[in-house]
Amino acid sequence: MTQYVAKRLLLLIPVVIGILLITFLMKALIPTDAVTAMYSGQLSEKDAAEAIATLRAKYHLDLPWYQQFFIYVRDLLQGDFGDSIRLRKPVMEELGYRYVNTIILTLASLGIALVVGLTAGILAAVKRNSWLDVTATTVGLFGISMPAFFFGLLLILVFAVWLRWLPVVPKGNLALLLPALALGLIEAAPISQVARTSMIDVLSRDYIQAARARGASELELVVRHALPNALIVVLTLVGLQIGNLLGGAFIIESIFSWHGIGELAVNAIQWRDFALTQAIILISAATYLVVNLVADILYAWLDPRVELST
Amino acid sequence: MLNRRQFTLASALSMGAIAVSGTGVVRAATPQVARFRLPIEPEGLYNVQSISAVVSGVLGNYLLEGLVYLDAAGKAQPWLAQSWQASEDGKIITFKLKSGKTFHDGTPFNAESVKFLFDTILDPKSASPTKGIVGPLSKVETPDEMTVVFTFSKPFAPFINLLGQSYFGFNSPTAVKAAGNAYPRHPVGTGPFMFDKWVPGASIELVRNPNFKQFRPDAANQGLAYLDRVILNVMTEDGVVTSALLTEELDAALLTADGVAPFQSDDRYTIINDQNAKNLMFMEFNYKKAPFGEKAFREAISYAIDREAVLAAAFGGNGKIALGPLSRGIPGYDDAVAQKYGTPYDQKKAKQLFDAAGWVLKDGVRTKDGQPAKFTIRSYASSSTERALAVIQANLADIGIVVEVGTADWGTFYPGLLKPDWDMDLNRWTWSDPSVMSQLFRSPGHRQLLPANDAIDNALDGADTALDTSKRLAFVSEAQKALLEDRRILPLLTDWPMTVTRKALQGYRVDYLGYVYGADLKIASA
Repeated sequence: MTQYVAKRLLLLIPVVIGILLITFLMKALIPTDAVTAMYSGQLSEKDAAEAIATLRAKYHLDLPWYQQFFIYVRDLLQGDFGDSIRLRKPVMEELGYRYVNTIILTLASLGIALVVGLTAGILAAVKRNSWLDVTATTVGLFGISMPAFFFGLLLILVFAVWLRWLPVVPKGNLALLLPALALGLIEAAPISQVARTSMIDVLSRDYIQAARARGASELELVVRHALPNALIVVLTLVGLQIGNLLGGAFIIESIFSWHGIGELAVNAIQWRDFALTQAIILISAATYLVVNLVADILYAWLDPRVELST
Repeated sequence: MLNRRQFTLASALSMGAIAVSGTGVVRAATPQVARFRLPIEPEGLYNVQSISAVVSGVLGNYLLEGLVYLDAAGKAQPWLAQSWQASEDGKIITFKLKSGKTFHDGTPFNAESVKFLFDTILDPKSASPTKGIVGPLSKVETPDEMTVVFTFSKPFAPFINLLGQSYFGFNSPTAVKAAGNAYPRHPVGTGPFMFDKWVPGASIELVRNPNFKQFRPDAANQGLAYLDRVILNVMTEDGVVTSALLTEELDAALLTADGVAPFQSDDRYTIINDQNAKNLMFMEFNYKKAPFGEKAFREAISYAIDREAVLAAAFGGNGKIALGPLSRGIPGYDDAVAQKYGTPYDQKKAKQLFDAAGWVLKDGVRTKDGQPAKFTIRSYASSSTERALAVIQANLADIGIVVEVGTADWGTFYPGLLKPDWDMDLNRWTWSDPSVMSQLFRSPGHRQLLPANDAIDNALDGADTALDTSKRLAFVSEAQKALLEDRRILPLLTDWPMTVTRKALQGYRVDYLGYVYGADLKIASA
C-alpha cells in the first residue's frame, strides 16, 4: 500500500512537468504578455516604452520561452511561484485564501450532491417504476442538461429576488449556500442516476435474496446489505466529479461573487498574468490528481477484490 | 423578538449611537451606508501604479483630490491649487497651493506632497503608466512650502486639464514611504472618505473623513460627507448586479443597455445618463494594405455606414452619432467642422464613389482589377462591438463589400493591430483632452502605420503645444478638419454610460470628467 501511494505520488512529477511544458508552449503562442496587456489601451503606451521594457526585463519576458521555462522550474523547486505582474505581489499571497475558498465551495457542493444524489438514487431503485422513480429520473435528466451559469442565475432569481430568503451579495455563512446548491444540485443528477442503476443491480443479486429469505427487513436489506456494494461504483464517479466541481466552480464563483481560484483564473487569463495562471493550473491539476489517488485507495479499501498495483 | 444575531447588531448600533452622541454630535442611530458595485477587484488603489478605470473611479470619487477640477464647461478650476501661471515660452508652469488641507493620516498637504507624486511617476523604477501621460515633464521644484514649479522640455498644452484626472490625485508621502509595497492596499489621500478595510476578493470599505474640508465650490455639500460608510462590492456578473439592485443590496451600478432595461419603467430607480461622455467609437483603416491607402476607397466606405442603426443595435440608442473625429464631450469638439466635412450615411453616394473608383458590382460583390472586395474587420469582444459589427457588415454587404468579422479580447486584439495583416478595425477610446487625436492619429499613429500628412501633423502638434486656450482651440478645430479631409478614420458614435440608482440614494451626480461628488451622497430615510 505504502509503495503504491509512493509510486503514484512520484508519477505526479512527470505529469506536472508535462502540464508546465504545455502551458509554456501555449504562452509562447499567445501574442501578448502581462506587461503589454497592462499598458495597451492606455494612451501612454507609446511613451511608456521605457517602463514596459523595465518591467519585461524584471519578469524575464524578454527571454525565449525555454529560458523562461527553466527559470520558472528553478524558482518552483525553491517553492517560489513567482510574482503576479498585475497585482504586483507574490502569487501565493493571492492564491492561498482563494484556494481555501474554492475547496470549501467544492466540499460543500459535494456534500449536497451526495446527500441529494444518493437519497434520490436509492429511493428510485427501491421504489422502481413508481412515480418517485419517474420523478427522480426526470429531474435528474434536467440536472444533467442544465448549464451551471443558467442554473446559478435561476437560483438567485428565485431565492434572492422573489423569495428574499438569501442575499445576492455574499454575506456571512449564508454566502456559501447558493453557490454550493447551484453546483451540488447539478452534480447530484449523475450521482442519483448511477446510484439507481447500481442499486438495482445489487438488489437483484443472490445474496440479497438469501438475506431476504433469512427474514431481514427491507430497510436492513437496503442500508446494511446492498448500499455498501452499490456505493463502490458511486465512489469512482465522485472521484471524477471533483474535477467537474473544480471546473464548474470557475463559472459559479463569478456569478455568486465567491472569491475562489476560478474567479481569479478568469482575470489572470485576461490580464495575461502568466505566473498567476500557471499557479492556478498547477494547483488545480495537483488537487485533481490527489483526489483521484484518494478515490482509488478508498476503492481498494471498500472492495477487497481490487488490488492496488501500478 | 430578536434572535441572538439581531440582538448583537442592535446593541452594537445603540452603543455606536451613544458613542456619537457622547461627542455632542446629534445624529440618527442608523449609520448612513451606501453600497456600490466594482466590476472587477482593483489591483491596488495607487495611481502611480495603476490607471485602470475602476482604480481611477474609486480614487477620484472618494479618496484623492487634485490640483484642479474641470467645471461644467470643461475648463480647469483651482481645487487644491490656488492659482497657476505659465512662463512666456510655455515651458514652466508655477502653481500656488491652498493651505489648510491635511491627509487622512494627519500630515499636511503641501508642495512636497505634489513634488513627491510627480517624482515617483518620473522615476523609471516605478515603471508608472502615468509617466507617458505627463509627456515632456522634466522636473518639479518647490521654492517654498506652497509653491510648485513644473518644468517641461517643450510646451505641453494638455497638462492643466489632465491634472483634473485622479491619476494626479495626491497620496500622503509619509504613508507611501511607511507602507512600501503594501501601500496600494492602504491608500491615504485628502478626499471626503478614508480607506477603512479591504476584504480580499470581496469588498473595499471606506469611512467618512472627520476632518474633511471641501475645496470644490461646485459640490452641493460644503461640509463633511453625509455617508458614514461606503461599501464597494466586487461583483463581476451584470445579471447578478441587476438582482442586487432589485433587492436593494446595491444603491447604484453602472450597467449596459440590456442591464438597464428592467429599471426603465420602475419608479423606485433613476437612470442617469452621462451625456458628457468622452468616448468615441470609430473604424480605422490599414493604410499599409491596398486599397485602404487610397482616400477614394476610404471615403466610399465612410458614406456606407448607418450610424443610427449602429447606435441602436450596440447601445439601445443611448448616445449620439458622431461625424467628427473628436468625441463631442471633449472640449474643442467642433460641430461646424463635423457637419461640413463629415460623411453622413448616404448609400447612394457610397455606391457612386465605388463606381467612380473602378470597383464594379458583379453578382453582389464588387471587384477591381480582378480583386474581389472581400475584407476583414477586427474588434475587441464585447456585446456592443459585436452588435455594431453586425450592422456594419450588413451595411457594407448592401453595397457589394464583403467583410469577415473577427473579435478577440482586448489583450489579443489591440497589440495584434501592430502586425499589419488586417484591413479595418472597430475601436473605442475614452479620454478627456483633445490630445487623444495626436496620441492616436498623428503619424505614425498608435498602430504605427499612418503616413505623414502635414496638414494633420502640424495642426496636432500645434494643439499639443499652444498654451493659449483660444490658439489651442483653433489648432484643435483645424486638426478635426484635416483628419476628416483625409478620411483618416470613420467616426461612428459616442455612447452615454448609464448608471441605475435607487431613488433612496440622493446626491448622485457626476462631474465633467465623470467622477461622483462623494461628499454629496446621502441615503434618504424611508
